[in-house]
Amino acid sequence: MSDRRVAILGGGLYRPGRVRYDNAEEGVAMAYKSMLQDFPNLDPREIEFVQSSYFSDHLNQQLCMAWIVQDYIGQHRKGGYRVEAGGSTALDNIINAYYLIKSGQYDLILVLGWEWMSEVDTATTNEFIASASDTDWDFTVGGFYNGYYAALETRHMQLYGETIEDLGRLAVRNRNNAVHNPYSQWRAEHGTGYVTLDDYYKDRIIAWPYRRWNCALISEGACCLLMGSEKVAKRLSNDPMWIAGVGLGTDSMRPGDRLVDWAYHGVYKADEKLYPANVEKPKTPYPEMANFGFAREAARKAYAQAGISDPLKELDVAELFAPYDGVELCLYEDLMFCPRGEGKTLIRQGLMERGGELPCQLSGGLTSFTHPVGATSLLQTLFLHWQLGGLIKKKLGDATLQVKKPKKAITTGHGGTGCQGGVIIYSKD
Amino acid sequence: MAREPKIPKIIEDKATPIKKEWEEYARKGNWTVKGYEMVRALSGPGLAEECKEEDFMVVYRPHGVLYHHSYGLVSKFFKGLIDKHLFGTKCPKCKTVYCPPRVHCWNPECRVADTEWIELPLRGKVHTFSVMLFSAEAFLEMLPFVLAYVQIDGADTAMPIQVVTAPTNVFIGQKVTIKFREKRTGDLMDIYAVPVKGQKIPADSCLQGHEENVNDLKRDMENTYAFLDKRFGIKKKDVEKRWKV
Repeated sequence: MSDRRVAILGGGLYRPGRVRYDNAEEGVAMAYKSMLQDFPNLDPREIEFVQSSYFSDHLNQQLCMAWIVQDYIGQHRKGGYRVEAGGSTALDNIINAYYLIKSGQYDLILVLGWEWMSEVDTATTNEFIASASDTDWDFTVGGFYNGYYAALETRHMQLYGETIEDLGRLAVRNRNNAVHNPYSQWRAEHGTGYVTLDDYYKDRIIAWPYRRWNCALISEGACCLLMGSEKVAKRLSNDPMWIAGVGLGTDSMRPGDRLVDWAYHGVYKADEKLYPANVEKPKTPYPEMANFGFAREAARKAYAQAGISDPLKELDVAELFAPYDGVELCLYEDLMFCPRGEGKTLIRQGLMERGGELPCQLSGGLTSFTHPVGATSLLQTLFLHWQLGGLIKKKLGDATLQVKKPKKAITTGHGGTGCQGGVIIYSKD
Repeated sequence: MAREPKIPKIIEDKATPIKKEWEEYARKGNWTVKGYEMVRALSGPGLAEECKEEDFMVVYRPHGVLYHHSYGLVSKFFKGLIDKHLFGTKCPKCKTVYCPPRVHCWNPECRVADTEWIELPLRGKVHTFSVMLFSAEAFLEMLPFVLAYVQIDGADTAMPIQVVTAPTNVFIGQKVTIKFREKRTGDLMDIYAVPVKGQKIPADSCLQGHEENVNDLKRDMENTYAFLDKRFGIKKKDVEKRWKV
């Protein structure tokens, strides 16, 4: 592998909201404009390549929107294309730009991401999103990701005994982080007061075991990142964040097929053994419908590249792609923060809270910060860039969420019902 | 050996009336603007207090289409639903039974082996489930419903099927019987499942094992009934009738 190093040099955002009236190209342009303020030494003409990500063509009645956006900000002529992979769209966008720089093809890439999700009513937005499931087999029976994900969480809950309270703790934590993030939709809609588990229990169930608070937001927003090789990093940025490792993984399109998942069969033997005796075992016990095999695959590769052997100890801050709180709990296991079935223990010990061993979702995550799909992982990465650069106070006007001198961070991407996704490890040095 | 006909021949037509109906929609002018609003709203990338107000024109543009889509080589499964049969496929090499069917085995060892069709029994068990109190537009009138992944007896995989029962009764491992709906159109909604009578809810069921789970679910089902009444005029007692199959 090439020994070229690749960094996130910085970025900018367009504050996401449930409905925004500036349109997508204008939102991206404003994010880009605010990014340029951090790069006085950058001539926009230096950018060699532009990569874009947005998830859905249906939401805006527009194919190839990336072409609109790239020319709107005057970055056409040079190469560029869109990356799309459901919920992993934005993470894959970053990983793809990483490969292009790592390979030596380019030194400086502008990475754009956006999603405008409120042009149709909420039920239709959910329907369009659900058309990323298998429309012959899964979509027809209830057509709604909340339902598929809720069913996955029910299975994990039956196997490993986490409770509604555990899911509630994550929902409460995300909100109590988001009130310190002025860009969060939670704070914009609910103000700066803390919430409690009692508030969570009052919230409405929409797909048991999930309440509204456990589910990702619907958002309109944009983000951009500037990525570069070592050759340009030092000149352009005071606080480059280096990519120490990346990994990708996939699983079956239909979650029901994972009961006999030959591609995974016998691969993760230790996890297959951690299976309770009182529940009938499918042919392939890991990941089956309880865990996320793609994340294990991706983490294994990313950790090997980054030289990480004990992720819970070695990582300092995490922004996980968790559209539902149960996903976060399962990811603890699949990302090897703990053995299979112990995700609930990490929650109960408070290890993933502010001030804990590995604080997760300090931004508020997808359920309280925002989730404009094609921008989400860019926003989470930008947030980690602020964390590793010690910039939280400067950017948010409040130092509460700043982790003390973090060195290593992790982010994940997650599409479909865990059909595809990836892991990126970031490093300060 | 019969030669492949050059032009595909329609051998059964249950589509002509719907094609006629949908021609209307094309004529109604998809993509053209049907109305607009002027909206005064915040503009700008930063915090709300840093944004300024601008006037935006918001147009209303419809988009309705009729797709024709081949179910390919698993057409037999969907035609089977219409004829009240449940089919799966079996790999002759590794013996995996697929339902949903695959006409090619996905076990890497079998090198994309052709599978064989088999008829499956109308029985299965709940592998996992969710109780839906909200859904996509097309399913709203069915609320509240149980979305389950059911493993058909003899199959190694699971398939999404609605379990028609009071949502507080469903559990993982529940044995179910597969039923066919009266009106069948050739998709998975042609079937549903009902619990086999006389089963006890296990004490360790993740839903019923905690009393507050059931209480909270019942509380929020009331909200769903209120929504159904307001939007569709569907009453709670009508919903409860569905579960007495």
